[in-house]
Amino acid sequence: MTTSTERRPRVRLALPPTRVVAWILLGIGVVVAIVPFVWMVSGSFRTEADLYGAPESLFPGEWTIDGYIRIWTELPFLRVVLNSFIFAGLTTLLCLLFDSMCAYALARMRFRGRKIAFWLVIATLMIPAQVTLIPVFVELFNLGWLNTYQGLIVPRATSAFGIFMLRQFFLSIPTELDEAARIDGAGHLRIYARVILPLAKPALATLAVLHFMNLWNDLLWPLAMTSTTEMRTLPAALTLFGGQHVNDHAVLLAGATISLLPLALAFFLAQRYFVQGVAQTGLK
Amino acid sequence: MRKFTAVAAAGAIAGLVLTGCSATSTPSSDGPVELTMLAGFTGGDRGAYEDLVATFNDTHDDIQVSLEIQPWDSIAQTLPAAWATGQGPDIAAPNFDPNVLANYLETGSLLALDQVGTGEGQIDVDALFPAAVDAFTSDGTLYAVPANVATLQLYYNKALFEAAGIDAPPATVQEFQDDAVALTGDGVYGLSLAERETIQMWPILQWLEGGDIVGSDNCSVLDTPEGIESLSVWADLVKDGVAPVGLTGAESDSLFSAGQAAMQLNGPWAAAGYTDAGIDLGVAPVPTGVDGDVTLGSTVPLAVSAQTEHPEEAQEFLAWWTGQEAQKQFALASGFPPVRTDLADDPELAANEVVAAFAAALPSARLYLPGVPEATKVDTEGYIPLIGEITRGADVADAAAKASDTINALTGCA
Amino acid sequence: MSNTTTLPAGGGLHPAGRKAPRARRFGRRSWTAWLFAGPSLAIILVFIAFPIVQSFWFSLHDWRIGAAEQEWLGLANYERLAADPLFWNALRVTLVFALMSVVAQLILGYAAASALQSERLLARIVRSVYFFPTIVALATIGLVWRFLLDPNIGLVAGITTWLGLPAVGWLQDPALALPTVIFVSVWKNVGFTMIILLAGLKGVPPHLYEAARLDGARGWQLTRYVTLPSIRPTLLFTTMILTINSFQVFDLVYVMTNGGPLFATDTLVNMMFREGFQNFDIGYASAIAWVLFLIIAVLSAFQLRIFRYDDVD
Repeated sequence: MTTSTERRPRVRLALPPTRVVAWILLGIGVVVAIVPFVWMVSGSFRTEADLYGAPESLFPGEWTIDGYIRIWTELPFLRVVLNSFIFAGLTTLLCLLFDSMCAYALARMRFRGRKIAFWLVIATLMIPAQVTLIPVFVELFNLGWLNTYQGLIVPRATSAFGIFMLRQFFLSIPTELDEAARIDGAGHLRIYARVILPLAKPALATLAVLHFMNLWNDLLWPLAMTSTTEMRTLPAALTLFGGQHVNDHAVLLAGATISLLPLALAFFLAQRYFVQGVAQTGLK
Repeated sequence: MRKFTAVAAAGAIAGLVLTGCSATSTPSSDGPVELTMLAGFTGGDRGAYEDLVATFNDTHDDIQVSLEIQPWDSIAQTLPAAWATGQGPDIAAPNFDPNVLANYLETGSLLALDQVGTGEGQIDVDALFPAAVDAFTSDGTLYAVPANVATLQLYYNKALFEAAGIDAPPATVQEFQDDAVALTGDGVYGLSLAERETIQMWPILQWLEGGDIVGSDNCSVLDTPEGIESLSVWADLVKDGVAPVGLTGAESDSLFSAGQAAMQLNGPWAAAGYTDAGIDLGVAPVPTGVDGDVTLGSTVPLAVSAQTEHPEEAQEFLAWWTGQEAQKQFALASGFPPVRTDLADDPELAANEVVAAFAAALPSARLYLPGVPEATKVDTEGYIPLIGEITRGADVADAAAKASDTINALTGCA
Repeated sequence: MSNTTTLPAGGGLHPAGRKAPRARRFGRRSWTAWLFAGPSLAIILVFIAFPIVQSFWFSLHDWRIGAAEQEWLGLANYERLAADPLFWNALRVTLVFALMSVVAQLILGYAAASALQSERLLARIVRSVYFFPTIVALATIGLVWRFLLDPNIGLVAGITTWLGLPAVGWLQDPALALPTVIFVSVWKNVGFTMIILLAGLKGVPPHLYEAARLDGARGWQLTRYVTLPSIRPTLLFTTMILTINSFQVFDLVYVMTNGGPLFATDTLVNMMFREGFQNFDIGYASAIAWVLFLIIAVLSAFQLRIFRYDDVD
C-alpha cells in the first residue's frame, strides 16, 4: 500500500548502501535527539556535588531523590497539576472544535467575506505574541476575567495556526467524498462531523498534541493572567526553583522531568493517529 | 457522529466549568487587611523571605500579607500593566535592578512613602543603607525601601589555593592579580568572570584600579586615562587566560562550582550552592584597591502600588520589614547583611561569619550606575558590549571611546 | 478498506480537491458559514486582531503604560528605528536565523519524514524519538543545552577534548553563537516539521503512485511529479509556519543567550522585548513589531504566490 511496504522484500535480500548510509544518519539523529533528555533525567537524580564533580558525565555517580521530594513538599502539587490539566486540556478541546469548524468553513464553504476571514487568520499569525500581552491584559481586566479560568482559556480557545493547518489539510481531502454525502442528503453539519472530521483524525491528533504541548508548557500567559497561587499551572509554579541563581539543579530538572510526563503520555496516545494516513482511515 | 458528540460534550463541560468558576471572591470588610506582595526571590534564599512574611503574619492580627514569588522576567512583563490598571499586588519588588524603579516612577505607579520616622509603623529611613535610600529617593520623596542589600565579596577555593602554595586570600589588588596568575593553569582559571546576565563584576575591577564608568555629571569616564588603564589591566589578564571570556553569570558560577576557577566576586546568595557543590569555600573581603576599600553593593527595591487600597498598612509592613527584629531574623537565615546600618554591633550577627563578612563591606559598597539616566540601557548598550569587546581582543582605547559615545548619548551628557 | 476504491477515477496525477466550482452550490446560505467560522473569528478579532491594531496606535506615540497623557510622535519611532544600528543588526540576525533554520528544517524534516514512512516498529520508534524534543519546554531545554555546550564543563567540550580538539565556546564566541542557536532550534523543531510533512505524505492517495509507476516514473520522478505536487498545501503550510515562527523566534534566544554575546543573537523580537519590557518603551517596541509584521506579510504573500494558493482556492 505505501511505498515502503512494497520495498520490504528488497530490504530483506540485501541492504543497499544508500539504505545503510540513511540508517547511520538516522542513528546519529537519534543520539543527538535523546542525549539532552538523558542528561536532564539523570541530572534530576544528582546532588550538586555529584553534578559538579563530573559535569560531563551522563549518569549519576550517587543517586538522590531530594529534587522530587522538594517539589512534592514545597508546592501545592496536586492543585497546580489539576490547574494545568484544566487549562491545557479544556483549551485544547475548545481549540480543536473551533479551529476545525472555522477551517471547514474556509475550506469547504463559499461565503461573502471568506477571503477577508482567511487573511485575517493569516495576518494574526504574523505578529509576535509578546506585542499583544499588555492590550489583552487590559481587556481581560475590563471584562473582569483576570485570575479566572475563563480569562485563561477563552482568549486561547482558537488559534490561527490550527485553523490554517486544518484548512490546508481539509483542502487535501478529495471533495468527491463530500459530494457523495451531499447526494445522500447530508447538510454541512453532517459532512463536517461525519466525513471531514473522521478523515482528518491524523491532523486533529497532531494538532491536539501541539496545542496541548504549547499550552502545558506556556509560562508567560498563566503568570500574566492569574495572580494567586491557587490559579497557577505546573510550569509556572516550577519557576520557583529556577531564576538567576540556581543552586539546586536536581529540583529544577526533577520539575522538568515531571512536567514532561503528561506530554510524553499524550504524545504516545496520539502517536498511532499520527501515523495513520487518510487512506487507511477513510471509510472503514 | 460519535466523535463529534464527544467534542460537543467536551465543549459543554467546558462551558459549565467556566461559569462555575467565574465568581471571584471579594474579601469581607471585617477581619484583617489582606495585602499581596510580589517578588522575584526564586533562588536558594526564597525560604528566608517566606519565613520573614510568615513571621509578620504571626505577629500581626490586623494585617495579613501573602507573598507571591515569580521569576524576575515574568514580573518585568506583567507588573507594569497590572499596576497601571490598578491591579496586581499592593507591594512588589519590581526588579532586582534598582535602576528600573525609575521606569515605574515615570508611569506614576509608585506610592510616595510618607510614613517616615522612628515611631511605631514608621520607616526608619536614617537607619537604612544610605546608598539604597539615595537610589530610591526622587525629588526628595522616598518611593521604595531596600528589600535586601547585598555586597560582593571575594569567594575563593581553599583547596586550589593550597595546591598553588598560597596560604591567604589576596589583600591588595596587586596580590589579587599576582595570585590570579599563579593559580591559573592545569584547566583552572585564576578568576571566574562573567560579562553579562548577572550583577556586574567588572565595575569592582575598575574601581580597584582607580577607574570608573560615569562621573557625577553622568558623562562617561571610561575613555579617560584612568578609565582605559583600569580596563586594560584586567583585559590583559583575560587575554592571558587568567579568566574565561564571554561567560554569563550562571556559567561563571558553574565554573567555580566545578572547581575550575580559584576565585570569584559574588554575593551572599552564592555561598550555599558552592558548599553544596563540594567546594572548600573561603569568603574574604574584596582586596584593597589603589583608592582604598571598595566593592559593589546591590539592592532590591520594595515599593507600594500607587493604587493600593491600604497605603497605611502597606507602609507599616515596609517599616516592619526594614526594622531591627525582622532584619536580624532575615540576615541570620539568608546570610545577607541587614539593610540597616545600626545592627553592625549585634553580637548574634557578628558571630555569623558569612553575615559579618558581607556586612563589613557595606560601608565601602557602591551601587552600579546609581541615578544615571537610562541606566539599564547604559548597561546593555554601552558597558556590556565594551567588556565583551575588550576581552575578545579589541583595542581598549578605541572600544572605550565608542562606549563613551553611546553612554553620553543615552545619559544626555554630551 | 481504502477510500481509493470509492473515489471517482478523475483524480489522475493532479492533487486532490480541485473541484472548487461545485462547492458554490453549498454557499447560498452564508449564515451557516458564519456559524461555523464565528467562534474562532470572534475570539481572533477580540483577543488578537484588536490588540494588534492597538499596538499600531501605540507605535505612533511615546507610549508609556498607565501614563495620563501619551505623547504623539507620528512616525518618529519608525524614523528612530531606521537610524538605530541595533535594529539593523537585529534585522540581519533575524534574516540569517530564519533562512538557515527554515531551510534546514524543511530539508531534514522532509528527509526524516520520507525515510520513516514505514509502519514497522523501528521506524515508528525513531519517529517518536525525533518528535520528542518538540514537547519539552524551552526554558528547561535551553538550560540543559547551555550545560551541554559549556566550554569548560560541558559534555560537548568533553567529547571534543577526548577527540584531541580544543574546547569551543559555542555560545561565547560571537561568530559561533548564532549558528549554535540555530542548531538547537532545528534540533527542537525538526520533529514538528517531520510530523506535519508525514501527515501530508500519508495523505497522498496510493493510486497516484501506482498510476505514475505504470507511466514509468521512478525514484526522484515520483517525488517530483507525484509527492511534491500532492503535498503542496502541506508544504505551503509548513513553509509559512516555519518562516513566521523563525522570524518571531524569542524564547530560545532569550533562554540561551538573551541576544548576546555582543548582540550576535539579538533577534528582532528579543530587541522588541528588551525595549518594551526592560526599557518600558512600548511605542518603540510596537514599531519594531509592526516592521516585523510587514516583513513577514510580504514574505508570506510571496510564499502563497509560489505555492499558487489561488489554484487550490
